[in-house]
Amino acid sequence: MSAPLPDLLAPGGPADTKPVPRARARPGWVRALRLWGPAGFLVLMLAACFIWPNIYPVPNPVRGSVLQAGLPPLSPGHIFGTDPVGNDVFSRILYGGQISFEVGFGVTAIGLVVGGLLGMAAGYWGGVTDAVISRLLDILIAFPALVLALAIAEGLGPSEVHVIWALSVFSIPAVGRIARAATLALREQTFMLAARLSGTRGWRVIVRHIVPNIAPQLMTFSLLGIGIAIILEGALSFLGLGIPLPEASWGSMIAQGQQTLSASPDLVLIPSAFLFATVLSLNLLGDALRERWGVR
Amino acid sequence: MSDHLLDVEDLKVTFPARGKELRAVDGVTYTVHAGRTLAIVGESGSGKTVSCRAVVGLLPPSAVVTGSARFQGTQLIGLSDDRMREYRGADIAMVFQDPARSLNPTMRIGSQIAEAVRAHRHVTKPEAREQVIELLRLVRMPVPERRYFEYPHQLSGGMRQRVMIAIALACRPKLLIADEATTALDVTTQAQIMELLLDLQADLGMALMLISHDLGLAASYADEVIVMYAGRIVEQAPAMRLFTRVRMPYTQALFEAIPRLERPAHSPLPVIGGRPPDLAALPAGCSFAPRCRRAQDDCVAEAPPLAEHEPGHRWACWHPCESVEAP
Amino acid sequence: MTSGEPLLQVRELVQEFAVGDRGGIRGSRGGTVQAVTGVSFDVWPGETLGIVGETGSGKSTLARSILQAPRPKSGAVVFRGTDLVTLSGLRLLQARRHLQMVFQDPFGSLDPKWRVRDLVAEPLIAYRVGSRDGRRRRVDEVLELVGLDPAAHGGRRPRELSGGQAQRVAIARAVALSPALIICDEAVSSLDVLIQAQVLSLFERLRAELGLSYLFIAHDLALVKQVSDRVAVMYLGKLCEVGPGEVVYRQPLHPYTRALLDSIPSPDPAAARSRADGHGVRVARVISGEPPSPIHPPSGCRFRTRCPRAAELCAEQAPPMRELATGHSVACHFPLADVARTTARSEERIGETKR
Repeated sequence: MSAPLPDLLAPGGPADTKPVPRARARPGWVRALRLWGPAGFLVLMLAACFIWPNIYPVPNPVRGSVLQAGLPPLSPGHIFGTDPVGNDVFSRILYGGQISFEVGFGVTAIGLVVGGLLGMAAGYWGGVTDAVISRLLDILIAFPALVLALAIAEGLGPSEVHVIWALSVFSIPAVGRIARAATLALREQTFMLAARLSGTRGWRVIVRHIVPNIAPQLMTFSLLGIGIAIILEGALSFLGLGIPLPEASWGSMIAQGQQTLSASPDLVLIPSAFLFATVLSLNLLGDALRERWGVR
Repeated sequence: MSDHLLDVEDLKVTFPARGKELRAVDGVTYTVHAGRTLAIVGESGSGKTVSCRAVVGLLPPSAVVTGSARFQGTQLIGLSDDRMREYRGADIAMVFQDPARSLNPTMRIGSQIAEAVRAHRHVTKPEAREQVIELLRLVRMPVPERRYFEYPHQLSGGMRQRVMIAIALACRPKLLIADEATTALDVTTQAQIMELLLDLQADLGMALMLISHDLGLAASYADEVIVMYAGRIVEQAPAMRLFTRVRMPYTQALFEAIPRLERPAHSPLPVIGGRPPDLAALPAGCSFAPRCRRAQDDCVAEAPPLAEHEPGHRWACWHPCESVEAP
Repeated sequence: MTSGEPLLQVRELVQEFAVGDRGGIRGSRGGTVQAVTGVSFDVWPGETLGIVGETGSGKSTLARSILQAPRPKSGAVVFRGTDLVTLSGLRLLQARRHLQMVFQDPFGSLDPKWRVRDLVAEPLIAYRVGSRDGRRRRVDEVLELVGLDPAAHGGRRPRELSGGQAQRVAIARAVALSPALIICDEAVSSLDVLIQAQVLSLFERLRAELGLSYLFIAHDLALVKQVSDRVAVMYLGKLCEVGPGEVVYRQPLHPYTRALLDSIPSPDPAAARSRADGHGVRVARVISGEPPSPIHPPSGCRFRTRCPRAAELCAEQAPPMRELATGHSVACHFPLADVARTTARSEERIGETKR
């Protein structure tokens, strides 16, 4: 039920007062900052990773010269220094970022589409459809993460696409269960009955009524999921199961940098910092959107 | 001669809302006499609930409350939470609309009432239990010894409301505020609960404040009635008088809009168009003027003051209805 | 009243649903709620039939069962000559086209993400009525019909409307397909009194202009009587009494109807005070006892546990609905004799709980 007045005051039924905006203790600009701060940072990162290398030449991330090996940060021409093989760290950060974002968005997109459809179908139609889909999602969730990634890496060879497949096995049921629960809750609402009485049927009901109403929940969940996917990719690459060297990935950079941790800690710290900042921004953005859209 | 139990003077409550100020209660003055029943009637947004919660300190912290509310001489506005708690539940008790939300679903009702008893008095557990059973008997709960052990979801709406009343009566309050207490109940249950409240009032010498949107309820059960609109009192009179000589056009409109058994089917309802005003943008003149049949230029220009134009009968209107029978 | 076929014929409608273990720290065992047990009535073209019942009477379940959402356990619902119970899928949709519903919660019945225009157009699109332009015109037409401004309100979302406006949108949606019968399930109960009057007045106007019939369901007897030609009183899944509104009011035959009438607080303090008891003040005759559980309703007549006239026969046999006067039926073994509504009533309290 819509609650025009603050909860304490509404006696329990909508009446004919104009809906009143909720009293907010925080000033408007703070709220705006919590949304646009992380959003701005992410846009900046995306632009840096995807657009910058195309318009402004950066050193090749994989074909550095050994002559330039082991330079510290803030060296001329190499703002983040170089790694033991001579590759420019800054450019590896940018290209590694591309990988991270591609994996993150790819996994999440697959999860949203496939998981979302399965979850909504299960929740809306119930019965046998629900039973079959729920069991399928349960099986997917039960898959042990590393074993699967290992198997894929061994069997098909490590690559970015394979990483995306492997991680999708988890994003699909994660989104699927949320979509199913949200659909079940929605199904009992009066306006769903009203829509059916108006004549709308089947998939049309799902697309036009359920999707718009569960989208906020799924979107905020997925934002967190992007962060998780990026970290998982990092972990897989760290373990050598993900993006193979010499291609740059934040995870493999961290793994690589481990070997020279005492001599050049920046080789671990810099990719870690970027990973941290990106995932934090995604989480903060998710929180801000959740608050704005009123998702619980 | 009844003494003044609660004196409210120029009570104002505002809420900040997205840069604007919501005037939920805009200068309300009234008195509750010991042992008598006062009804405050109004639609949603009239400020009736907010004004009562302001008196007992139950508003969210963002609310700004000014004015005076003296309970037997003690100023309640601005009291600290701790001191307010001494009054709340002891001398002043409230019963709300939705007992399902006010009762803890995981606690037996006996324990919840006992909690109320022990909050204000130092009694042992067995003593508390005795008092709880006594209270359940007082509120006419059948088989109180057994009901003690039941959970809220096992009770009907009417019985839950009796539990709420028992909790409210735990310390024999001097004033009981019933905020839409019977609105969610069936009409047959409502009659039972109202009868109970009246009997309790007579037995315990309690003052009763009925807050409701139901004018019929006010007529049947109150000594005195206050009608509120857009945060202000627009009419106040003893019940008998109000209903036979209504003055404020808004009150008259409320009367006419109530479905009556005596009216034949499909009889045309006199309809007032429009909606209550935006509490964040109240007009300078009379708040009801945009919808009032009798409104004239002076109504829009200046808000009429609430004044006792006839003994015991106050109203705020430049052009009140002629002294007519309520329809 | 027009003659011919009734618009809606409900025969022996039965609806039950299982209530599982209610969980919680100490759950209660479930059972089968007998929400509607053998309800039969007719709605004639152009008439408004009011159904009044309190919580647990099954009136809302009745409304949804008529619309087959969900399908009743048994019984027949013949609308314009076709039994809806026997249909499904597209055929049910077609048969149900001229039967619409307006719900209690104006905001709950409107998809919060949709705009007013789309909400009202939905039935037109679902039933493939007209072209896009034709639909747009119809939407505007219908919005104006219910007193809304298509330009100002058409693009809004439900949360940008007030309660009364939202209910008007719901009514506009119901009226878009030119239905023959609209079921109003507590359609004005959530609205403030003045707005309620506005919406009721709208219902009456639509009735006159569009020739609509209504099945008007509410818990407020005065409200139901005011808008209805005939009134049916429902208690715990069964109909107690059916008859013309005025007759049921002046000469109720069923003790429950009597109890309902007596419980209504009168806005006339003179009348209220004439029912004085020992306290010297008001107080209506009050029904005692609690409503029984719909999972285990009393045997025989379901009202017998609170009825002052109950006898052994009432426990053994459920009373059938009998027509005692023209158009006035009652289901009671001992219906009230002719009780005129005078101010000098005997102080007979409506009873102790009988077992």
